[in-house]
Amino acid sequence: MTATLEAPETKAGAIPSFEVTLRVRRYNPESEHGEESFWDEYTVTAHGTDRVLDALHKIKWEHDGSLTFRRSCAHGVCGSDAMRINGRNRLACKTLLKDVNPDKPITVEPIKGLPVVKDLVVDMEPFFASYREIMPFLITNGNEPTKERIQSPEDRARFDDTTKCILCAACTSSCPVFWTDGQYFGPAAIVNAHRFIFDSRDEGAQQRLEILNDKEGVWRCRTTFNCTEACPRGIEVTKAIQEVKRAMITRAF
Amino acid sequence: MAETELHEYDVLVIGAGGAGLRAAIEARERGLRTAIVCKSLFGKAHTVMAEGGCAASMGNVNENDSWQVHFRDTMRGGKFVNNWRMAELHAKEAPDRVWELETYGALFDRTPDGRISQRNFGGHTYPRLAHVGDRTGLELIRTMQQRIVALQQADHAELGDYEARLRVFAECTVTELLTDDDGAVAGAFGYWRESGRLVRFDAPAVVLATGGIGKSYQVTSNSWEYTGDGHALALRAGATLIDMEFVQFHPTGMVWPPSVKGILVTEGVRGDGGVLKNADGDRFMFGYVPDVFKGQYADTEDEADRWYLDQENNRRTPDLLPRDEVARAINTEVKEGRGSPHGGVYLDIASRMPAEEIKRRLPSMYHQFKELADVDITAEAMEVGPTCHYVMGGIEVDPDTGQSRVPGLFAAGECAGGMHGSNRLGGNSLSDLLVFGRRAGLGAASYVEGLERRPVVRDQDVEAAARMTLAPFDPHPGGTGENPYTLHAELQKAMNDLVGIIRTEAEMTEALERLDALRTRVRDVVVEGNRQYNPGWHLALDLRNMLMVGEAVASSALLRTESRGGHTREDHPGLDPEWRRRMLVTRCAGGPDDDPVVPRVVVEPAGREPMRQDLLALFDLAELEKYHTAAELTAYPEGASA
Repeated sequence: MTATLEAPETKAGAIPSFEVTLRVRRYNPESEHGEESFWDEYTVTAHGTDRVLDALHKIKWEHDGSLTFRRSCAHGVCGSDAMRINGRNRLACKTLLKDVNPDKPITVEPIKGLPVVKDLVVDMEPFFASYREIMPFLITNGNEPTKERIQSPEDRARFDDTTKCILCAACTSSCPVFWTDGQYFGPAAIVNAHRFIFDSRDEGAQQRLEILNDKEGVWRCRTTFNCTEACPRGIEVTKAIQEVKRAMITRAF
Repeated sequence: MAETELHEYDVLVIGAGGAGLRAAIEARERGLRTAIVCKSLFGKAHTVMAEGGCAASMGNVNENDSWQVHFRDTMRGGKFVNNWRMAELHAKEAPDRVWELETYGALFDRTPDGRISQRNFGGHTYPRLAHVGDRTGLELIRTMQQRIVALQQADHAELGDYEARLRVFAECTVTELLTDDDGAVAGAFGYWRESGRLVRFDAPAVVLATGGIGKSYQVTSNSWEYTGDGHALALRAGATLIDMEFVQFHPTGMVWPPSVKGILVTEGVRGDGGVLKNADGDRFMFGYVPDVFKGQYADTEDEADRWYLDQENNRRTPDLLPRDEVARAINTEVKEGRGSPHGGVYLDIASRMPAEEIKRRLPSMYHQFKELADVDITAEAMEVGPTCHYVMGGIEVDPDTGQSRVPGLFAAGECAGGMHGSNRLGGNSLSDLLVFGRRAGLGAASYVEGLERRPVVRDQDVEAAARMTLAPFDPHPGGTGENPYTLHAELQKAMNDLVGIIRTEAEMTEALERLDALRTRVRDVVVEGNRQYNPGWHLALDLRNMLMVGEAVASSALLRTESRGGHTREDHPGLDPEWRRRMLVTRCAGGPDDDPVVPRVVVEPAGREPMRQDLLALFDLAELEKYHTAAELTAYPEGASA
């Protein structure tokens, strides 16, 4: 028999548990509610260390099997479960209940600015379309090397921050410009352009800067810092956008 | 019959993790019309969770490395039951695949002179893992996702259509493979998760790249997609699985708090200097070096610590033994009362290097523990314990082409079997999926190019697949009305408790009884609501696959009366050279009274092909004698040595 299955919890003491209420914004055009979204409230027993994702799972497994949301890796790497929790964009798998005041009902809504498909699931296609538009791939001229290209640790560090993006859309869907103008590229696409513009191996910066010089490009950014605050990976999104703006003016990258 | 959408392609790739994307890129570059179907959003596959790196003997950090050393390490790690041809191809081709990824644009950590840096990992003789901090898998997926966008934009420039030769069907689940009258693959059947609409793909070649089976276990590092779909689809289409008893439990998963139990703590922590300690503060791994590895690991803490600085003159720390050894050692420590408060052991990096260094080298680990466990790993030790991580067993394939026993059906990555033997080395998974993803893409392309006529899907198969897919909405009258979430939880508990790291005959017999009971109940599954994005329905269909795979694992484990790698029998603790020669093959039982929902499987022994002489000659005879029978070694080449 395997020994480590059941944690001997007596040794460490019981985990405190509490009741928590979640107000979830639901949408299901196939239900009697039709095209109207509506709120459902669920009260579940949670542990002091549980995350919002754990509470949503509990609702789905024990109360309402139809509650729909995306999740995959469940610890902040795949970027599937961005949602609006108490009015702020976060990943459900990285948000502890105790950090969002479980004494009052916690509101959970889909991220804003993208069409809702069902409950907390939104149509991500417009978001990915912007990502594809900035040509998110290495552009080079000349012959391919037989082994690797050389890149100094300093050159590699230059764009490290923007390679951490997990394409969760938390930044783009927190941006007030994006809410009112779905044509705007949005922070995530600019972050991914930054990742290539400042990569010493890449030779496509001019093309990308031209794309982002568009009227729906970087100049729409109003520097509200919502995106930086929303990023679950701690990317300095607004700074990256500013660097792209500066590169456009100075042509230095 | 329900309305079904139809698409036609040359090559259909199921799964958009590393292996699937690499296969699709290859098939598309050969000019074939290729589709990728995946359950998640594009770019979210389980591969993103790989942290440590991608093993390839580029020799950038230690130039003594070579494919031969990598091959030897891989065979040792797998306890000599690996398909040696796969291990050979893997060791030889991994460097090219990493360099190729770099030319696609992948980010890597670099050596001071600007080449791809490589780190130490368990079971690897030299620093061998190309990496990006502790987010290597994410970068690998992102790079191939970018490559696919680049190919689609090239197609748009040339043909005016982004999806002319390569299309991604995201959030689309395949429920059945379709074959023609001769038993060759003819396509696949599935549904769109978003709309619930049924969809059929006609394709003469299908590449399965669906990953693993971890969601059959309660404590796992795997993501929700890992329900053994490819394994089960292949079985139902007439292919075979091998080595299903070998399941890897990664030694270091989080054990606390309960909400994150099982989440991976990268082996890179130990590769970079972290050490395992028990409740008494002892570095217990020194007491767990098995006979087969005696002499290859440091005997003292001093030597182990010197090894991090000088690898020429010191032997490595036993903290970096292969994963199966470390997982068993932790299990024993806990069982004997020397565990941590939450049933694990300690992994200490805080006392081994400055806080800033830890944050720089292992940023994801730092944040993971800080945010989810409120533990600062730069100040205190982590609590860790084994977690179900990887299945070595999988679809039996031809090593060179990736083709299964079903013509036109290929497999690559974790859902394919053989490459890793009884235990996979860390870092060999990302390299596996690049090497064999490419080979399966090539194999599928060549197969299609060589066909004289395209296979024809049989209408009755499509109708049967549609009925099976929609069955949870139309339960039997008088059925028990089972909840899919409840059944899933019971399945996970049975596998976890009875077919886990340490196994006995009685426990596995009980596991098979419980699986049998679940098989009956799964027929009565009912789901609430309708077809649009219905998670209960999706799980009900995944359960069919998990039950088949669970039965394959438990039945194989029951038959193998020895302990080896990811299969430890308390009642048969030793390694048995007679068992080295045998592999266990799983297939569908078939027959008129078979269960259509969850077909029964049978497991039978078969022989393994003896290793080619020039590969055998890469090992010392003394080492081979630990694993092989005397009769097998009479062919050992005279005068050969490592």
